[in-house]
Amino acid sequence: MSRQSHLKRTVDMQIIADWVEPGSRVLDLGCGRGVLLEYLVHSKQVHAVGVDLDFDKISACVRRGLTAYQGDMMALMRALPENHFDRVICSRTLEELPDPGAIIEQALRIGRTVTVGFVNHGYWKNRTAAFFSGRKPRNSVYTTAWYESRPSNPASIADFEDFCALRELRIARRAHLHGDWKTTCRFAPNLFAGYALYDLTR
Amino acid sequence: MNDAASEPTASARSEPGEVGLVEPRDFVSPAPFTFDNGLSIPGFTLRYETYGRLNATGDNAVLVCHALSGDHHCAGIHSLTDKKPGWWNNLIGPGKAVDTNKFFVLCANVLGGCQGSTGPSSIDPRTGQAYGITFPAVTIRDMVRTQKRWLDSLGVRSLYGVIGGSMGGMQVLQWSLEYPAFVQRALAMATTAREGAQAIAFNEVGRQAILQDPEWNHGYYPKGGGPRVGLAIARMMAHITYLSDASMDRKFGRKAVAAHHKTAPGTLATGAASAPLGANEASSLSMEGVDPVAPAATFDVRFEVESYLRYQGQSFINRFDANSYLYITRALDQFDLAATHGSLEKAFAGVQAATLVVGFTSDWLFPPEQNRAIALALLRAGKRVSYAELATDLGHDSFLLESPQIYDLVRGFLN
Repeated sequence: MSRQSHLKRTVDMQIIADWVEPGSRVLDLGCGRGVLLEYLVHSKQVHAVGVDLDFDKISACVRRGLTAYQGDMMALMRALPENHFDRVICSRTLEELPDPGAIIEQALRIGRTVTVGFVNHGYWKNRTAAFFSGRKPRNSVYTTAWYESRPSNPASIADFEDFCALRELRIARRAHLHGDWKTTCRFAPNLFAGYALYDLTR
Repeated sequence: MNDAASEPTASARSEPGEVGLVEPRDFVSPAPFTFDNGLSIPGFTLRYETYGRLNATGDNAVLVCHALSGDHHCAGIHSLTDKKPGWWNNLIGPGKAVDTNKFFVLCANVLGGCQGSTGPSSIDPRTGQAYGITFPAVTIRDMVRTQKRWLDSLGVRSLYGVIGGSMGGMQVLQWSLEYPAFVQRALAMATTAREGAQAIAFNEVGRQAILQDPEWNHGYYPKGGGPRVGLAIARMMAHITYLSDASMDRKFGRKAVAAHHKTAPGTLATGAASAPLGANEASSLSMEGVDPVAPAATFDVRFEVESYLRYQGQSFINRFDANSYLYITRALDQFDLAATHGSLEKAFAGVQAATLVVGFTSDWLFPPEQNRAIALALLRAGKRVSYAELATDLGHDSFLLESPQIYDLVRGFLN
């Protein structure tokens, strides 16, 4: 992982940690090796559960002392009762999943709050990359060529807010960050923000 | 969040060592024991082994629970001429995933067994005769409760961990709900909280093979005698359920035994088969006195898989008691945490241990869904639980696999 994308990861971890209530029950969809959850356990003493598809990622979570479930996140969520978690986090995962609307809907059933973080596809650099080169954007966020990339269903901030309005989801909090993923972007975020974070409630 | 490309996996570990020579010991409980069904025996013996040392506070013990046909000998060797170490030797030892430098590792042969612990082949002190089928029906909970008595006698104050696969996994679950404050970590692999109809069905065929053998004689048979044909067939069939289509095909395919390459059909000498897979000691694979079918040449061993299964059956009857097989398969079938407690969530309501459940994709005896069901019920009950599922094609016995991925997981869970 490049130094730059590592920096980007830690920034979005800090924002999520700010939003998380201490001692709350948190589920991380696509928890990977548990870096975010470990951070939340240490900084906010959360009761953490992760879900991911890969054995070695679950194993890494277990090594960190976290609890994690290997399997399909939709199947897991369907098996859990309403409001089982205080918060469900879906950070940089949604764009790789089929039917993201259904996932958010399930997450809002089992969690009181859903945190969604995603790369803004409407960011001007992504637009110009496609416009001027006529190619799939390649940068520190989109690091791979199309032929070695996972299927991806990117969204822009405008797409996401449209979706929330359509489904009548309440946006409790939002954070739009510039292309550096550090400073807050207030003006025309769909064009100038590189990254977006939302807290949704029913 | 996605962070796939981070951190290297644990590296630069010191080379793991071996447990080495070990000796089984006996725990003799002189006090009566009352089974789940209300019947009691005047006392019992559990044969066990330990590796590593119990610390001063008595809280570094890791209990290993064995499966149906397993025993207390899970690591090390009994003599320098032993060809095989204990059944989980790849996992247990100094510097291994279950590190005997850190942990006091214990394993006992289960109640109802036949490897030195009290079971149907033991002598009933009240009659001077073997219990036979007068031995009370054993449950997984009975196994666990007798082991608690044994651990108390050794000064074990709490279990740092309890681990087991298959029936061992059932004991792990029972431990953490029977003695919630005693168990800190529970690791159950390739197991189930209740067998499906298919697993019960397989056990029933095994039992019928024994029960229908005239030598079974209603459970009364001399030591070393008994329903050897029935028990061998039961083992042959059960062994198939521990493997998988893919793994059997890879091991054996349609390979013919050597005799068939050299001799013309019909002139085959009985038992001249090549011994497959660690069966080298079996120079003769004939099932003399065991083969249920008259060995007309047409039906003699033709495929390697046949000679392998015959070898498995043959070696099993020399170490296992048929009545024990009946009792323990019954204990497996009767185990049903959901029915016993109303629901799986209610069963787990008091659990305090951190739990790890591991399923294996090709396990068709206790399939991944049944392992996942345990983890989901614990999650719904608000407990600390992880679930991992290893992709293997080795079937139910995958939990015994030499797999660095499993070692890392187990090590990570215990540390």
